[in-house]
This record gives sequence, structure tokens and C-alpha cells, in this order.
Amino acid sequence: MESPRCLMPSFAKRTQFPASAESQKPRLKKAQEFPILEKQNWLIHLHYIRKDYEACKAVIKEQLQETQGLCEYAIYVQALIFRLEGNIQESLELFQTCAVLSPQCADNLKQVARSLFLLGKHKAAIEVYNEAAKLNQKDWEICHNLGVCYIYLKQFDKAHDQLHNALHLNRHDLTYIMLGKIHLLQGDLDKAIEIYKKAVEFSPENTELLTTLGLLYLQLGIYQKAFEHLGNALTYDPTNYKAILAAGSMMQTHGDFDVALTKYRVVACAVPESPPLWNNIGMCFFGKKKYVAAISCLKRANYLAPFDWKILYNLGLVHLTMQQYASAFHFVSAAINLQPKMGELFMLLAVALTNLEDPENARKAYAEAARLDRCNPLVNLNYAVLLYNQGERKGALAQFQEMEKKVRLLKDSPSLEFDAEMVEMAQKLGAALQVGEALVWTKPVKDTKSKHRSASASKAASLQQPLGSNQALGQAMSSAAAYRKLPSGAGGIAQPTKPSLPLEPEPTAGAQPTEAPAQIRETQE
Amino acid sequence: MAAASSSDSDSGRADSSEASSKWLDAHYDPMANIHTFSSCLALADLHGDGEYKLVVGDLGPSGQHPRLKVLKGPTVLTESPLPALPAAAATFLMEQHEPRTPALALASGPCVYVYKNLKPYFKFTLPQLPPNPLEQDLWNQVKEDRIDPLTLKEMLEGIREKAEVPLSVQSLRFLQLELSEMESFVSQHKSKSIKRQTVITTMTTLKKNLADEDAVSCLVLGTENKELLVLDPEAFTILAKMSLPSVPVFLEVSGQFDVEFRLAAACRNGNIYILRRDSKRPKYCIELSAQPVGLVRVHKVLVVGSNQDTLHGFTHKGKKLWTVQMPAAILTMNLLEQRSRSLQAVMAGLANGEVHIYHDKALLNVIRTPDVVTSLCFGRYGREDNTLIMTTRGGGLIIKILKRTAVFVEARGEAGPPPAQAMKLSVPRKTRLYVDQTLREREAGTAMHRTFQTDLYLLRLRAARAYVQALESSLNPVSVTAREPLKLHAVVQGLGPTFKLTLHLQNTSTARPILGLLVCFLYNEVLYALPRAFFKVPLLVPGLNYPLETFVESLSDKGISDIIKVLVLREGQSAPLLSAHINMPVSEGLEAA
Repeated sequence: MESPRCLMPSFAKRTQFPASAESQKPRLKKAQEFPILEKQNWLIHLHYIRKDYEACKAVIKEQLQETQGLCEYAIYVQALIFRLEGNIQESLELFQTCAVLSPQCADNLKQVARSLFLLGKHKAAIEVYNEAAKLNQKDWEICHNLGVCYIYLKQFDKAHDQLHNALHLNRHDLTYIMLGKIHLLQGDLDKAIEIYKKAVEFSPENTELLTTLGLLYLQLGIYQKAFEHLGNALTYDPTNYKAILAAGSMMQTHGDFDVALTKYRVVACAVPESPPLWNNIGMCFFGKKKYVAAISCLKRANYLAPFDWKILYNLGLVHLTMQQYASAFHFVSAAINLQPKMGELFMLLAVALTNLEDPENARKAYAEAARLDRCNPLVNLNYAVLLYNQGERKGALAQFQEMEKKVRLLKDSPSLEFDAEMVEMAQKLGAALQVGEALVWTKPVKDTKSKHRSASASKAASLQQPLGSNQALGQAMSSAAAYRKLPSGAGGIAQPTKPSLPLEPEPTAGAQPTEAPAQIRETQE
Repeated sequence: MAAASSSDSDSGRADSSEASSKWLDAHYDPMANIHTFSSCLALADLHGDGEYKLVVGDLGPSGQHPRLKVLKGPTVLTESPLPALPAAAATFLMEQHEPRTPALALASGPCVYVYKNLKPYFKFTLPQLPPNPLEQDLWNQVKEDRIDPLTLKEMLEGIREKAEVPLSVQSLRFLQLELSEMESFVSQHKSKSIKRQTVITTMTTLKKNLADEDAVSCLVLGTENKELLVLDPEAFTILAKMSLPSVPVFLEVSGQFDVEFRLAAACRNGNIYILRRDSKRPKYCIELSAQPVGLVRVHKVLVVGSNQDTLHGFTHKGKKLWTVQMPAAILTMNLLEQRSRSLQAVMAGLANGEVHIYHDKALLNVIRTPDVVTSLCFGRYGREDNTLIMTTRGGGLIIKILKRTAVFVEARGEAGPPPAQAMKLSVPRKTRLYVDQTLREREAGTAMHRTFQTDLYLLRLRAARAYVQALESSLNPVSVTAREPLKLHAVVQGLGPTFKLTLHLQNTSTARPILGLLVCFLYNEVLYALPRAFFKVPLLVPGLNYPLETFVESLSDKGISDIIKVLVLREGQSAPLLSAHINMPVSEGLEAA
């Protein structure tokens, strides 16, 4: 670093005061008293904290003129203001000047480091922070910022240590958030939850912490706790975007579409261009059987986020329901291009192809779906139905058995309810294939949807289509909603881990099975 | 944040209609020319006549011409210039005797000016700080001409690097000087003793030994050198001295000096330190991670406003109780104490021109003001007990009186759903055409799909064919053969008739150089002339860009341009590795004679 004399003129130029002319004056008078350097620091500070930067700059200028650039605090605040205005490089130079004026002050070094950090020079920032740490051992801020620098350098162990040191010195929400972030970056959800739990204990009203914790629980499928935390977040801040979206998606899962919609209105006002929001609204309408509105909303979501496969998936699903198979095909194939590793997408594609009278390709799609999928019995069931309808009893039987295997695996999880329609369909197919009455469906099945069925039965009957080859399958698959949230064994369809919360709700959240039973009955006759 | 503001302003709207019934507008003068901070406002019965006056340490319109103003009712009673900007004003009782008229203390620079009966009474100056002994020693040596200025400079710099005690202004100024100026500076100043003076940053009062309303109080000063001083009210001696880790900005005191007291100091490093009577150092520390903009004690809760637009409540042990988000930046804060109803609340002047009154977390009242309020003060004024005095950024003065019937009620529990919840979603409408198309798709979906697929395949086929053709005839400027991975692009410069044609040839393989390449130009010889239409390419080192220059002369004067083909060939092979078509520009220059 240069000597202060060399730096000072450069500063003088920047703030444009005639240092040379000024410096002549004091020496002419003999017994000139030196002004007190810190005379107006309090005023500078008061203006600064009130964000009255213009007044602040005026006082700083005056003060620097009077002290010929020796007033350290004035330079310090000037640098802070420069940084707030985005002139980071200039602020860095001024902070370095301050560090020269009083080399024993850790604050100056901290600010130098902070500016370096903002310039993206993390390594240099760490060096300066270490210097500062030598001057001030017990400063949480230094430890915290060191930790953050290490995160950016991807040295998570060191970051971890530093952040823990910071917490040890003094607890701050920000440190907890950063620690949680490290665990998330390392993919350790449980540890992240631990950290966030502690953080929420420490500051129970921080909505960001509450929301993040809620979302983490949601990701792990612990719905009770997730809802609790999200609800808490909403009590403190009823307009929290993330919390509303997450809570809304949970309501959708439970079929409370109207409640979810009212909640979404708040977000729609605050963040009208959020793709997940319009996706969720669309699926709410889908759940309420307002298909045209659903398509409108989903298309808006798709317009806002054209590369989000979940929205495309939902669009495909809604179009299948609307019997617009050609459109459905396009949306699903677009989704597959973006997310080629999901069995359900191929199944949807297969359903669309079946309806477009392309059984060859439908079979290929089913085969791919069955290959990719690990735990959704619906894939195999639909495949089996297709094979059965094409007269391939052997293949159908194999798929049926595969399905039974998956069902058995799934039965262990307590939160699971098999979709009534799927069970019925499976039983019918089982009978048709003359497989013994398999006792896999021991759980009582809720029959809540009978109303819709009877309503749509007549319409379906008029279509006269073979088993499973029409929209019935599309809708039957929609019961996949229940399975896609399986807490255990959901390895096949691992939720795409997105760093950017909030998570969208499960794409099929709003889907409702409809007229399938009527058609099954027909074909069974 | 936007959301918070909308919800707050909503409840505020409900309140402000009520507020019109809570406050009487006593006085508003937008041109009062008062520019000050809350810390420089004080209300006191200065003459002992039961008529409370307002004392304003006015900084002046642009921080110049500081004045002490005393207001009675809406008029300025007296006005006197001050030697320096006032940092704080306080009124306090100095002694027990009757008449018990309070004295006025004004902190400014290193001094506290004490007025009694509005007459200057005493000036207290902060004691000089001890200079660095090494520095003192050096200047003494200079005085005796034992060391020259250069040595002095070196030594002083050494002290600055290491010493705990900072240098005096004299030494700092000396260190700034050029070599030539040093002599005269030294001769001018060497006889002076070096001084270190600090200034007062904040001031408050602390009861001496009785908790009564009209008990004798001590002055508590916060100084720039990170100390807190408690002054004796009569003798103005320093009773106690405490040190802080940073410079105090706001002080809040409770208790009595002789019994037990608690001092909270919000400091420039964003921390609030809490000290007790017998602690020389802070006992508790609250780290805000933001700058405090105000500190008010309400009963036992410390309310802190931060510059991140939040209001926090802390216990006196530093535990966080609650946080409220403000709709705008907080500019100033002060205590509202309605003794008749024993209500204590916090007033916060916000940057959006509102004053919010909070009791703990609950918003009691919102006052809308015509200008942004920069200082606030509540108390007895004139003969009215509950008066709110506000000054604005533009220098205005607002006086409001709280109606005697007014009762502050906390906003009804939950704020209810945000207003946005009642708004209708704007779902895009679908046209008749859309519905028709949907129906058509339902009817003829399969056919549509098949036609589309057929066309798609045809399109792909054609694209593939064109691509293969391009590859086969090496029409592309990038060669992808394993042996000669090459890239070519050409630049034409000049206006004509002579152009400069530069071919940039690059070997894109990782390690292997390429040898034995040829470049050939194909062109219409009627239109163009090239000095060499065929030449060898030097060895191409991987990664480097080889510019190969050649001149092209346009022969036609009819403004015709043509394509020149560039072929890159391997020696002994007739098929080109790659080729480029260069669209020559029309010659604009005059024909060279």
C-alpha cells in the first residue's frame, strides 16, 4: 500500500476540493489552531443513517476541506456511500485510505474486505478478513463473512467452521441461513433442517427462516410440520410469496382449490409474472374442472417460463383431458425434451399416441416409461391395458405382475391411499387376465369421486372406445398425484432438486380422475 | 416489503380518519426555518412560570449558522447564535433550591453550554486527551533542534503504524506535507504543545439520587473517543467515566446515578451496549447488523429502529422480543408519554411522510404530515400536557395537541387478510375461435397429428440432405475431418478498386500441427485480378490464428460485384477441405488511373 500522502491527492481530486489552495492558508497565520478532526463526525453519521446522502456528502466535503482530507470517518462514510451507489472500486480505494490513516482499526479492514468481496475477489477478501481478525478476535461479522467467502470458493469445510465460530460469538439469522445453504449445497437436507430449526428457535418471527424450513419439510414429505411452519410464516407476513405458494400447493394436494385460489390472489397481485404461480392457479382450475381457464393459466405460465417441463407436463395433462390429443402430444414431447428421465412423461405420451391411433409408438413409449419408472404402478397398469387391448395377454400379464410388485412395495408407506379408480381398473384387468384375485388392495379405498363419475358417465358411454385407449387413461394416470409424493422409495422420480425455492406443487396436484369406470364396464361386458 | 406497506397503510387509513379526532392541529408553519434532530429538541418550564417552552438547537438551513431558539407557543421567544453546531440539547434541574427552574444544556463540539434563565451560565469543556508520550517526546526533541524534520516524519509514521494512542492533528498534518514545506511547519509549530481534543456526540440526563419528576439530574455525555461521561450537576466534574467499543450515537438511561442505573448506548458499529452502574465496560451487547437510527426505552423494553426499516424490541439484557417491519425508512424516533393514561409509546417519523406510533408491536396511530418529519418531541408545551412537536425536512414546524378524550387503542388483533386477496384474478379469456379450434382438434386430432408428423419428417429429411450436401462439397467454413480440423473466415477491407482480402485460418486440433495445405481462389477473371490465385499455407500451429492477406483488384468500372470462392486444399487431393464464398463489395473508389 502506498503512503497516505500519495493517496490523499487522488481523493482530493475525486471530491473536487482545491486542496492546494486551501493548504496555503493555515500556515500564513502564525498561531493557527488545528481544527478538531472529528468535529462533525456525529453529523455525518446522523445524515448517513437517515439515508440523507446528499446532505451527508455536503458535510463530508466541508469536513474534508477543513481537515485537508485527514478526517478518517468522513472518508469512511464517503466510501460507504460510494459503495451504496455501486462505485465499489472507488469505495475500495477510499477504505484503503482509511486503513492507512489508522492501521490499527479492524473496521477499515473489514470494509476493504467487504468491497473486495463485492468485487468478486473472494481470495483477496479472505486475506484481508484474516488481517482484520488479527486485530479483533471476537467479531462475528469477520467470521461470518469469511464463511461466506469460503462458500463462494466452494471450500465448504472451512466455511462451516467459520460460520460456527460466528454463531459461537453471536447468533444472527444471517449466519444460520448461510450455514443452512452450505448443507443444501452439499445436499444434506437433514442437517440443513437441523440448522434452520435452531434458527427458528432463535428468532421465531423471521418469515424467511420459517418459509425455508417449511419448504425443506415439504421436500422431505413431512407435511404436518411443513404446513405448521408455512402457516407461522403467513401469520407474521400474510403476503409472503414463497410461503403462500408452498401452502397453496399443499392445499391443492388436499383438494382445497378455492382456498388455494384465494391465497394465490395475494401473490398474483404482488408477483404477477411468476410462472409457478400461474401453473398452480391453472391446476386449481383444472381441479375445479374449469379446463379452459386452466389452459389459459398454464399457457401464461408456459409463456413466462418456456423451459419448465412441469408446466408442459400439466399442459399435456389438461389437453389429454380435453381430448385434444394432438396438442397434448406436442406439450408432452416438449416436456420430454427438457426432462428425458421421467417415466410418467412417457406414459402420458403413450396415452396421447394411443388416442392418436399410433399403437406402435405408444408401445415404445410405454416400454420406455416402464424402463424409467420405479414406483408408479400406473405406468405398468396402463401398459398392461394397452397390451391387453392389442391381444397380447402374455405381455399384459407381465406388466400386471410388475404393477402388483410395485403396489406391494408401496403398501408399506402409511400416508398412501390408492386411487379408487386405479384399483377398480386393476381389478377388472386382473379378472380379464384371469389372474387370481390378488389381495394387494387391502387398504380401504375412499370413494369420494362417485359424483363426478355418474355425471360424466353418459358422455363417456357415447364414445364407445376400447378399454384404456382413450382419455380414461389420461385421467387415470392423474391419480399418480398421490404417488408422486411418496416419501419412501420415490427414487425413480426424485424431485428435481431446484436450488431456487419455492418449489412448485406437484404437477398433477389438481388432477381428478373422472369417467373411467363407465368405460371399463362397457369393455368388460 | 411492498406487501407490508400495503397492509400497514390500510390499517393506517382506517386510523387516520380516527386520527382526525385524536389530534388537534394547533400550528403548522412550513416556513419556520427550523432544521434539527430529535436530540436537539427539549421542552421545559425555563422561567418557572408554568408555561413550558420549546428549546431548539437549530443547525440552520445547510448546517451553517447554528442558533439556539426558544419557542413559546407558535412564536420564537429568543434566538441567539451558537459558536458551533449543536449535537444535543437537554434540560435538567441543577440544584434543589427554589425556584426550581431547570437549566438548559447544549452540547456542541467539545463543550457543553449551560444556560440558566436563558442566560449563559457555565461552559464545560471536555478535558484534553493525554497525548502519545512518544509523540510528545519527539516534538520536544524537535523543539530543542535535536532531530531534523525527516527523522521526525519517519518516527511519527512509526508511531502511527503501531501505537494505541492516535497522533495529534499537528503530527498528522505534518505527515501530509511535502519535503519543502516541513521546515517552515516545524519552525512554526514546534513551540506549541501538542493537543488531542475530542467532541461530544450525544447527551442525555440521568437522575442523581431521586426518581421524582423534578429531581436533580446529571448530564451524561457520549464522546467521539468512545467514552461515556457522567457530570456532576452542580460542580460539573466528571463523576464517572465508562468506555465503549465504538462511538455512541444515541443514549438511553434509566435509574438514578447514586443508586443503580442502566445505560444503553447505540453505537456507530451497529451495536447497542448496555452498561450498569458499577460496570466500566459494557455488560450486554445487542448486535443489530444494521445501523440504529433511534433508541427509545418504553418501560423496560428498548425499542431500536434500524436503517433496514425495522423496529426491534429488546429486553434490557439484550434479548430480542419482537420485530416490526416499517413501510419506509425511519428518520427519527422519540418517546410518547401520556401520563394521565400512563401510556408510553414510540413515535417513529418515516421517510414517506408519516409518523407511526407503536405500543410494543401494535400500531396505535398514524399521523400523515405534509412534509417528511425529521424530528419529534412529545410532552408538555405551553400549558397543554400532551403536545406533539414535529419539524420537517423543509424546515417546517408542526404542533399538534392530543385531545383529552383521545384514547389509543391497539389495532384490532389480527390485521385480517391482505387486501389483495379480495381482488379478482385476471385469467386470460379465450376466444370463440379457440373453442372452435378445440372442437376441430377433437374431431380430427388423428389426422392433424399425422399430417404434422409427415411434414415434420419431410422437413427434417430436407434439412439433413442439405447438410450432407454441404459436407460433401466442403462448402462449409469449418472442416471437421479428423486429420485437418480447420476453421476459416475471411474479411474484406477497403473501398475499391483495390481491396484487401484477409483469410483467417485456424487449426482447431489440440496438439497436431498441419502441414502442406494450399489455398486457391476461384473468381471471374473479367471482374477481378489477384496477384496470386494459388499459394501454399505455412505450417499451422494448433490454436493460433493465421491471417493470410492478399490484394484483390476490381477490374470492372460498372459497379458490378461478384463472389470469390476460397478453397483450402490438401496437397495431392482434389477435393477441398473447406471452402468459403466471399461476397465482394461493389467498388466505390475511382478507377486508378
